[in-house]
Amino acid sequence: MTPEEIQQIFFVECEESLAAAEAGLAACQTGTQDGDTINGVFRAVHSIKGGAGAFGYTALQAYTHTFETLLSDVREGTVDLGDALIGLLLRALDTLSDHVEAAREGGDAPADAALIAEMEAAQAGGSGAVPATAEPEPAVTAAPSEPAGQSDGEGGDDLDLDLDSLLDDISGGFSAPQAEAEAEAEKPWQVHVRPHAGAMRNGSEPLLMLRDLADLGGTCVRCDVGAVPALDGFDPGQGYLGWTFAMPASVEADTVRDIFDFVGKDCTIAIGEDEGIPPVEIEPAAAPAPAPAPVAKPGVEAAQKPAEPAAQKPAEPAAPAAAAAPNAPPAAVAAGQSIRIDLFKLDRLIDLVGELVIAQAMLVQRLDGAGITATEELGLLENLTRDIQESAMSIRAQPISSVFSRVPRILRDLASTTGKHVKLEVIGESTELDKTVIERLGEPLTHLIRNAVDHGIESAEDRIAAGKNPEGTLTLSAEHRSGRILISIADDGAGINRERVLAKAIEKGIVSAENQLTAEEIDNLIFAPGFSTAQTISSVSGRGVGMDVVRQNVKDLGGRITIDSTPGEGTTFILTLPLTLAISDGMIVNVGEQTLVVPLAHVLESLRPAEGDVKGLGSSRHMLNVRGKFIPVLSLREALGSPSGATSPEEGVLIVVDTEAAGQAALLVDDIQDQRQFVIKSLSTNYRSVDGVAGATILGDGRVALIVDVDGLVACALPAHERQAA
Amino acid sequence: MTTTTRILTVDDSASMRALLNHALTTNGFEVAQADDGVAALEWLAVNEVDVVITDINMPRLDGFGLIEQVRGGTRHRDRPILVLTTESSDEKKDRARRAGATGWIVKPFDTEKLVAAVRRVSH
Repeated sequence: MTPEEIQQIFFVECEESLAAAEAGLAACQTGTQDGDTINGVFRAVHSIKGGAGAFGYTALQAYTHTFETLLSDVREGTVDLGDALIGLLLRALDTLSDHVEAAREGGDAPADAALIAEMEAAQAGGSGAVPATAEPEPAVTAAPSEPAGQSDGEGGDDLDLDLDSLLDDISGGFSAPQAEAEAEAEKPWQVHVRPHAGAMRNGSEPLLMLRDLADLGGTCVRCDVGAVPALDGFDPGQGYLGWTFAMPASVEADTVRDIFDFVGKDCTIAIGEDEGIPPVEIEPAAAPAPAPAPVAKPGVEAAQKPAEPAAQKPAEPAAPAAAAAPNAPPAAVAAGQSIRIDLFKLDRLIDLVGELVIAQAMLVQRLDGAGITATEELGLLENLTRDIQESAMSIRAQPISSVFSRVPRILRDLASTTGKHVKLEVIGESTELDKTVIERLGEPLTHLIRNAVDHGIESAEDRIAAGKNPEGTLTLSAEHRSGRILISIADDGAGINRERVLAKAIEKGIVSAENQLTAEEIDNLIFAPGFSTAQTISSVSGRGVGMDVVRQNVKDLGGRITIDSTPGEGTTFILTLPLTLAISDGMIVNVGEQTLVVPLAHVLESLRPAEGDVKGLGSSRHMLNVRGKFIPVLSLREALGSPSGATSPEEGVLIVVDTEAAGQAALLVDDIQDQRQFVIKSLSTNYRSVDGVAGATILGDGRVALIVDVDGLVACALPAHERQAA
Repeated sequence: MTTTTRILTVDDSASMRALLNHALTTNGFEVAQADDGVAALEWLAVNEVDVVITDINMPRLDGFGLIEQVRGGTRHRDRPILVLTTESSDEKKDRARRAGATGWIVKPFDTEKLVAAVRRVSH
């Protein structure tokens, strides 16, 4: 794994942490302020800080340090978690997200000085003067200037990361006064060491420390064996021995103290000629039991002691799991056994499963040709193939909560720019869909939400005047429906102002004034390229990206978007998406010698035109009358340049398709063969990209069929003036 | 020692595990990874290890709990356990010591010092 890959993991992790913190704070907002929830938020920020330090993102590290310190105060209860503080924490989280973004993109860190000051004030305000739990953290302040730790020796360490010397060493930066050591710098000095029973019990092997002394150049000058008992009274867990080492003058006393720092009181050390080896402490002589574990008597009890925590502990893991319920899906995933897989390997598996589906179809077709049909084994194979396919797909599936969890942030940003406070309701956030779909869903969803708040939901005054709750509500929901996923974004705003939309569309020349449009058709005008209904271009949704781009994004995902708007009650956008991108539904059609696939997402209907349905337009063009509306007919045979096939609409079948840029059109084909799932193979990676062709697939009989790029084909085959805006 | 030193790293952060893995494997150690205390205990139940390196703040079972359980068990009770954390307060160190930790390393770690620490505790 290269450092870049590790860094990538870190950023993925940051996203997870941000989402977890967001969910935790949201739970706090609704009154769930138990220790585990707060600790979850703390841990999320803590984890980002840890990585930021390791990867040398100093601005991010410094910021998370302040954030973490405040959260630590909240966790310890020295600061009260009121609404104002939650608000501050949420804002701090937003800025943290910007910090992460800046670190990832290599951009400038966001301005955080004011927020840091606010967080520091919140700490001080809560705990009196100095934050009680603030830890000395040399790491943060020291970090920026230090160069990356050059690892000499040990070879092979090519980690190009700022793993600099912030390390507190194994001993932990426990600085003791060192006056005496400095005074006598020239001659060897003595250190006396006496490990006690605790050192043996907790695994702090004294031998290791003695070796360290030797490594520093120390020489053992005396060993006190006076306390060693007779063999039958010997307890291996006790510290019977003490040593005196002569250390070279070049070694500082602090270096030696560091070696023993972590064992703490389990090992007494004394420095100086006159000190001598500290006295032995044999337990249970009610020694000033400094050791944590009140290690009582040697023998049986000592052996029993450690069993105690083990007996009490098991109850503990259950508690956090239960308390993490507010953000149920991530918690459930975390609690389960999970492994991280390279996406490439996963895609390879999906690919292979796709091949398997094809191979299975080929087998069926071949056997069918040989007169062997409907055998039990074939049915079994088919079922297994489908199961494997579904399992493989489910591996790539992720809950949609990863997209939904970003929404509160968007709403907060919108609240500050538009002054509209919107309540969010989420339904079905654990609904799963393909990772790629999820990744590409973020942008259109964000735009739709911005649009809903900016244009849909009225200002508080207008809402009150309309007898509504001054606070608007945005409802996001996701559900599976017949092999596709349905996502709806509903606002309880004013609904689409159809008069204004129509007037605008006519003004922009999108539709002509004579057209009688249905309410639905008017609603759909907002998806037309170049359309914008905002009276003034707002900074929120007027970003030069129109709803047409949203619709294109959704289309690219093989999905559709529809609107349902009721004046005065609100607007709902419904996105219907495929569960996966790797396999699609398509219509297999014949054109001359060729077999083509038309993606089902574009197909509205197919029909054999009745006499009189098709009107000629000029010498070569035809228009199809679909229930009173004329749409252009496009011959796939001509588009392909195929020598044979249906030449006039009456000879073949017309497939009515909906395209993005060119509205509806009817594709003329010879006949329809089948409708089935197909696995998309990229043409550009295997051959080169061809206009009008979206890719290729392998049919059941092993032949390659081209997949029609409906949008591209219609757009380039029809002159602009013949197109119909949707 | 002629055999490879086996290390179990316990951290809920995948990037931290990856960093540790990189730092340790390139220095000739054999590394296993667990993402929290519970996963570590499950791994330890069926595997042998020479050194455990654990984070403190983790879900389900934190580093203190893990150390206590390892010390309280029989199989690995004598194994050195190094704590690797961003925390550096004496109070936390004291708690780790009481739980039975062998050493304390502050994140972000320095590969050379980490390796030296591991070599030291693993003989």
